[in-house]
Amino acid sequence: MKKSFISRRAFKTLALNLVVWVFALAWMLPFIGLVAVSIQPYREVVVKGWVRVPDLSSLTLNNYIEALRNPLYDLATGYRNSVIVAFLSSLIPVVAAALTAYAFANLDFRLKALLFATILFIMMVPQQLTVVPLFLLYRNLGLYDTFQGIILLHSAWGIAWVTFFLRNYFRFIPRSLVEAARVDGASEITIFYKIILPLSIPALIASFIMQFTWVWNDLFYALVFLASRDKQVITQKVVMLKGEFHIDWGLLTAGSIISMSTPLILYVVFNKYFMRGVAAWGVKR
Amino acid sequence: MTSAFLKLDRVTKRFRNVIAVDKASLDVGKGELLVLLGPSGCGKTTTLRIIAGLETPDEGRVYIDGVDVTDMEPGDRDVSMVFQDYALYPHMSVFDNIAFPLTVRRGKLRLSRRDIEERVLKVAKMLRIEELLDRKPPQLSGGQQQRVALARALVREPKVWLMDEPLSNLDALVRMQVRAELKRLQKDLGITMVYVTHDQIEALTLADRIAVMNKGRVLQVGSPKDVYENPEHVFVATFIGAPPMNILECKATEEILECPGFSRPLQPSTRGLQGKLYVGIRPEHIEIVSISEVTKEDVVEAKVYVVEPLGSEYIVNAVLEGEIVKVRTSRELLLSPGDTVYLKIDWSRASVFDFESGGSLGKLLKR
Repeated sequence: MKKSFISRRAFKTLALNLVVWVFALAWMLPFIGLVAVSIQPYREVVVKGWVRVPDLSSLTLNNYIEALRNPLYDLATGYRNSVIVAFLSSLIPVVAAALTAYAFANLDFRLKALLFATILFIMMVPQQLTVVPLFLLYRNLGLYDTFQGIILLHSAWGIAWVTFFLRNYFRFIPRSLVEAARVDGASEITIFYKIILPLSIPALIASFIMQFTWVWNDLFYALVFLASRDKQVITQKVVMLKGEFHIDWGLLTAGSIISMSTPLILYVVFNKYFMRGVAAWGVKR
Repeated sequence: MTSAFLKLDRVTKRFRNVIAVDKASLDVGKGELLVLLGPSGCGKTTTLRIIAGLETPDEGRVYIDGVDVTDMEPGDRDVSMVFQDYALYPHMSVFDNIAFPLTVRRGKLRLSRRDIEERVLKVAKMLRIEELLDRKPPQLSGGQQQRVALARALVREPKVWLMDEPLSNLDALVRMQVRAELKRLQKDLGITMVYVTHDQIEALTLADRIAVMNKGRVLQVGSPKDVYENPEHVFVATFIGAPPMNILECKATEEILECPGFSRPLQPSTRGLQGKLYVGIRPEHIEIVSISEVTKEDVVEAKVYVVEPLGSEYIVNAVLEGEIVKVRTSRELLLSPGDTVYLKIDWSRASVFDFESGGSLGKLLKR
């Protein structure tokens, strides 16, 4: 009796695992294909197709080296530019938005509701809609084709949603903590640094990673606002790996993987915080 | 300005259309423990928060030690507060939690690291939590967290201590223990304290004086004995006492008081009473007697509804024409629901309240 119960449970577990793995494989197949193609010579992919176990003896990193080193493609410069742009375009909005979010979560001031609604509204505006006036503005201000320009642009968009995200997180922190600190004589700045920020590390990390990934993956603004070769970011460079008449799939996939690796690694490293930040406050009180 | 150490002068606070606190005036003497007692939503916590400076009153002033603090920031008032959820900073050690009020104003108080350490150790020792100083609040039990919160409020030696239901999250045994300790601490250190609770037992045991609040108004301020024996408002009578005072809706005519199930002649001294009124009788001022003991005019006949044993005593619920009257007795009576009992009421201790306003009209009989 008991035995059959256990085996039924085992069967259930097995079936569940099977289903989950099937879904996971379907989900990962494009990525597996990407990796497989990137580490084989182009010739072999064309002749034998990509859905197979690669021939170990023919594996190569040439595609990666070529993509990074060849001055024609110059992915290395693009990577460096992306790091600069994405890092600053994430750091600036997270710092600025944390301060704004604190005000929205813990202070009372005039027009608070209206201002907050404005921020929500800004979040809803499609980026494409703003590009023409911004382009003209940037050309006049001399911000066109500069890092400062694109960082400013991404930061501005980032501040809106990160403010929204962090304000919601800050509101999970019991209000009595803030009030206790006020009665104890702490200034708002002290409360912000000593109480709110340390308790919000998961949310700060989560919003930083999401913003970083967003900026890193952006192609649209980069195409419009960064023109010169030495300023272009990695997404622009990856596009250029594809020739007009000829596509070297090995080169293109290697470029894609280099490009997507950084957000992926960040996500894996900070996964724990990321989950906590998104799932909000769960500390036992 | 006045002799009161902490003074609230006709303080009113509205939240949109709701009046949370309605012209509340209070005087608290130095070293006194005043309890704000009332049901949830009566405005007691808002009153406390106004004293702390976490809310700004719409009208009225707050004075501490003769200084008008109405427009001062909470941190400048030299008060400390213990919150219902303790509000311990979960990411800081117990030591840092207790030290927090000192570290944030280190410059102003001119304290060295050593001074802070000494003072933290002193209060930690007093509250017997020295061995917990390295831990974080989530690792502590409710009672321990409570002590840390008390220590944090105490370390600064504030002018006024504010407590917002600090014991309500503790289980019954720990609560009784901490309650006694708290009172001892307050008396030993001579701290002025305002303590908010909805628990009348807590109020009666702790308070030097109790302020009973309902619907934003302070209905009565007095010693526990005073509030219990001479309620100034029918609400106070029904809120204090376990079980509370029995309230009967009666009608007075020239010479007769008509109550549910019985009527009795009014004595000349109370002939002034007229019309509908409330008569209040404490459960311990009613006795269950056998018919042979007294003549029938002196007693009221009732039916037993249910008997609640409380260990050392019994609460007999008797029905008087649909109204339940609670009787406290220490005698073990063999009563079952439906039995007829005779109640002898100690009329000299019965209170009378105005039907409209609920205000006290004094005792039914002048003793």
